[in-house]
Amino acid sequence: MTSLELFSTIQNSGLGIFIGRQDRMLWAIAQIIHIVGIILVLAPIVLISLRLFGFGLYQQALPKLAKESEKLIWLGFALLAFSGLLIFIPAALHYHDNPVFWIKIYLIAAALFIQLTLYRVITKLEKPNPWLARITAVITLVLWFGVAFAGRFIGFV
Amino acid sequence: MSVLTFAELLYDSEIGTSLRESLFAFPIVEGMHLIGLALSVGLLFFIDLRIVGVVFRHVPIPQILQQLRPWLLGGFAITMATGALLFVSEATKMIELPVFLWKLFFILLAGLNAAWFELKWGRKVAHWGHAPVLPVGVKFAAWASLGLWSLVVITGRLIPYLSYN
Repeated sequence: MTSLELFSTIQNSGLGIFIGRQDRMLWAIAQIIHIVGIILVLAPIVLISLRLFGFGLYQQALPKLAKESEKLIWLGFALLAFSGLLIFIPAALHYHDNPVFWIKIYLIAAALFIQLTLYRVITKLEKPNPWLARITAVITLVLWFGVAFAGRFIGFV
Repeated sequence: MSVLTFAELLYDSEIGTSLRESLFAFPIVEGMHLIGLALSVGLLFFIDLRIVGVVFRHVPIPQILQQLRPWLLGGFAITMATGALLFVSEATKMIELPVFLWKLFFILLAGLNAAWFELKWGRKVAHWGHAPVLPVGVKFAAWASLGLWSLVVITGRLIPYLSYN
């Protein structure tokens, strides 16, 4: 099955047709849930990056800060996935032709990969190597900010 | 000069026109508005949630308040500057849009709340920041900040949905 066939099946599924029939304000609500999710993911990433750079909360133990903010990140990601699917499913074919949509998908995959590997390993350490800490912060910030930027661009391409 | 005339002037200005007509400038400015939001409102929410006792209860309030302040103020500078640019490019439409005016109203209230907190409590955080029970005014300001900035974000996101009728 090609991606085009898959996207067509998604859009023309019972769920796709059902969501597509709802009032336009449902999209607005989905978009609001989406932006709340963005804040819940990006704000902890920014905060932990400040800590990794030594710019803020440097007296606090890194693992404890990271562990508590991780809950917010995953709550935010769950909201993003839920609202994102609501927006995507009824218009899957529309997104299929949009190159920025695919860039966003790849960036999300890369950001999640780093989140579960490098970021997780480094933020578990009491005193990570300062340069490794900074590199982790930069990569994580670039990828998640990239996801946000790509998301903003989708509607303009 | 009326507000509407002024909005038309902004709309027709060189910067307003070039933003509106450029393929990439508008989404780039919108992307920066979003990043600024994560820094400003995002970090501010961490402070508010710390004050009301939801996150980072082990972090002393003076520490989180003082160390995050410059970053979230920088974030607000980005959000305000990019927001002004977005407004200029759509000024004539925005100035008559109720949801945009509500957004401005909530920004004003949130700003007043922040100024009141800063003048009355923020400057002498060392006096109350370590107390086992926080002053009622401090908690009130934190809840008000959470509520008002949420309303700013919500009304902001509704703008495109309520402007194409």
